[in-house]
Formats: sequence, C-alpha cells, structure tokens
Amino acid sequence: MDLYPFFDWLDTSLLADISKAYGGVFAVVQMFHLLGISMLGGMVLVGDLRLLNIVMKDIPSEVVIENTHKWFNVALVIIVISGIFMSSAVALKLYYNTMFWAKMASLGAGVVFVYAIRRPLLKFDHDTIKPLTLRMMAITSILIWFTVAASGRWIGFS
Amino acid sequence: MLNELLLNLARWLDSQSWSTSIHESIYLYSWIETTHVLTLMVFLGMLFVIDLRMLGAIFPNVPASTIAQRLDKPMMIGFVVMLITGFLLYYAIPVRTTQSLWFRIKVVLLIAAGINAFLFRAKMQASSNSWDLDPIPPKRIRIGAALSLVLWAGVVITGRTIAYDWFDCHKQLPYFMYWAAGCVDEMAALQ
Repeated sequence: MDLYPFFDWLDTSLLADISKAYGGVFAVVQMFHLLGISMLGGMVLVGDLRLLNIVMKDIPSEVVIENTHKWFNVALVIIVISGIFMSSAVALKLYYNTMFWAKMASLGAGVVFVYAIRRPLLKFDHDTIKPLTLRMMAITSILIWFTVAASGRWIGFS
Repeated sequence: MLNELLLNLARWLDSQSWSTSIHESIYLYSWIETTHVLTLMVFLGMLFVIDLRMLGAIFPNVPASTIAQRLDKPMMIGFVVMLITGFLLYYAIPVRTTQSLWFRIKVVLLIAAGINAFLFRAKMQASSNSWDLDPIPPKRIRIGAALSLVLWAGVVITGRTIAYDWFDCHKQLPYFMYWAAGCVDEMAALQ
C-alpha cells in the first residue's frame, strides 16, 4: 500500500498552509508534542517500573496500571494530533525519510502492544500472571516507547 | 558587564578541543541530544504523575505524599541525566547558546521552577497530614502543582526554540533585544 497520495494531500492541505507559514504556531504545537511524549513516557515508566517491582512497591500494581493507563490515552491523543500537524509542514520530506518510517513502525508496534497485549493481559489479577511474563512485558514496553521517542528525534538528524 | 563575562566564558569553553569534538561528531552530539530528550520521559514524566496527583487527577485513592515520595528518586535520576546532557549540549555550542535569547529565558524559567519546587515541597511537608488522603488536595497545593507544570512546559518550549534563529545576533534586532540576548559586538556597533 503506497501512502504517497496521503502525504501529497497533506502537503497542500489547510494544516500545511498554517504549519508552513507560522513558525510560532509550529513551535507551540511542537511543545505539546514534547509534553505529550513526557506524559506518555511517565505513564509507561511508572506502570512498567511497578511491574518490575522497582517503584511504588507498596501500592498494588493493578491500581498503578489502571491510573496510568487513563493518562496514557490522553498523552497518545495529544501526540498523534500534534504529530499530524507537524508532519504537514514537511509531509513530502517525511515520506522519503527512513527514520520517519522507523518511528511509524515502532509507534504502530507500541499501539498494538498496548491495546492488544498489555492492556487485555493486565486486566487479570496480576498475582495470577507469571512474574516472568510481567517482567518481560514491562521491559518490552519500555524498549518500544524509548525507541519511538529516539527514532522521532532522529528524524531531525537524518 | 554580565553579558561580556558570560561571552568570555563561552569563548573560553569554545576554544577547548573537546567542545569542538562533540560539536563536530555526528553521532556523539546527536546521541547526547537524544538522551536529553528521552530523559524528558523520565524526569518530566514522573513530575507529571506527581503534579497530576496534586491536582486530584490521578491516583485519587493513594495518599499524595506516598506518590511524591515513591517517585522522588526516579525523578531525580532523570533530572541529573538531563542536567549532565544539557551541560554537554551547552559545552558543545557555547557561544551561540550563550547568545540565545531562548536559552536565557529557559535558564530563568528553570530557576523559577526550582524555587517553586522547593517552596512546594516545604508547603507539602508542613501540611500534608491534613489533606494527604483527600482525592483532591486544597487549592494552594493545586496552584503550586499547576504552576510547576506551566513552568516546566516553559522550560521545554524555550529549550526547543533554541534551535530557531529568529533572534540570533546576526539578525537585525533592536538594541534591547541585542542586550537581552547578550550580543555584545552588535550592541557596540549600534552605539
């Protein structure tokens, strides 16, 4: 599936008119993108470090996972919306950027991992899940989201 | 006076071979900056959880002080890594950064955020017994938490805008802006 038509459309859309013309607006949206990343990272880390028994050991992991997941969702929405806006400023350049696709692949993997694996599995009582499984899941989660953030930063370097 | 002093310090750092090496290395510089951004997730991420608890928006059934205490250490680890990588980024490009209006605002905001955190902590320790179990803490605590989020958001955006050259010394700017950015030579040329 070639997504070129989408990027071609985005490049000439109203969003692109705004993001290309006003550097200040772009910078503010980018701030929300960075704050979204911080929030998402915080929620992922607190949840996963709890599963790894590193932080908040005296609070049940079910409580930690439940609370952090809500704000994870909020952060993801902020990141995706601000990300689409930022993409519109350099849509065609991104289409030909390998790092951008690395980021999209890791982001896709992250979303599938959270909503299809981590979330459904952690709905069960955590005591009934093998500790090794919990630990593997936490490490995988941290690695995925750090890869998403790092490859995102590298779009700018490549 | 202070502008000259800062610029001389920056020029001295700039003359060191290590500064040039980091600046000219594609991978080292990029990885330092990537680490700086990634630790946002650790430091600011933890701070988000703490401040959202103080705003009454997360962990309503867990005492506020428990959240603050348990996340203090990982948050400070993130902060230290940010500080080290941040210093290395400054060290790699000292002159331009010293003369960046955004960097200067960022440092002021950082100091303000630090003072706010210090006062907030004192206020919290003095009074947490009375509201620790409340799902939504009292107004003065919420204001402190909101201020903390706003100040750190300011640090993030001014950090990001250092990369933009809107107010760099080589631009045509009014005298006041040259002064604020520390463009010593440009100020002398205008006089």
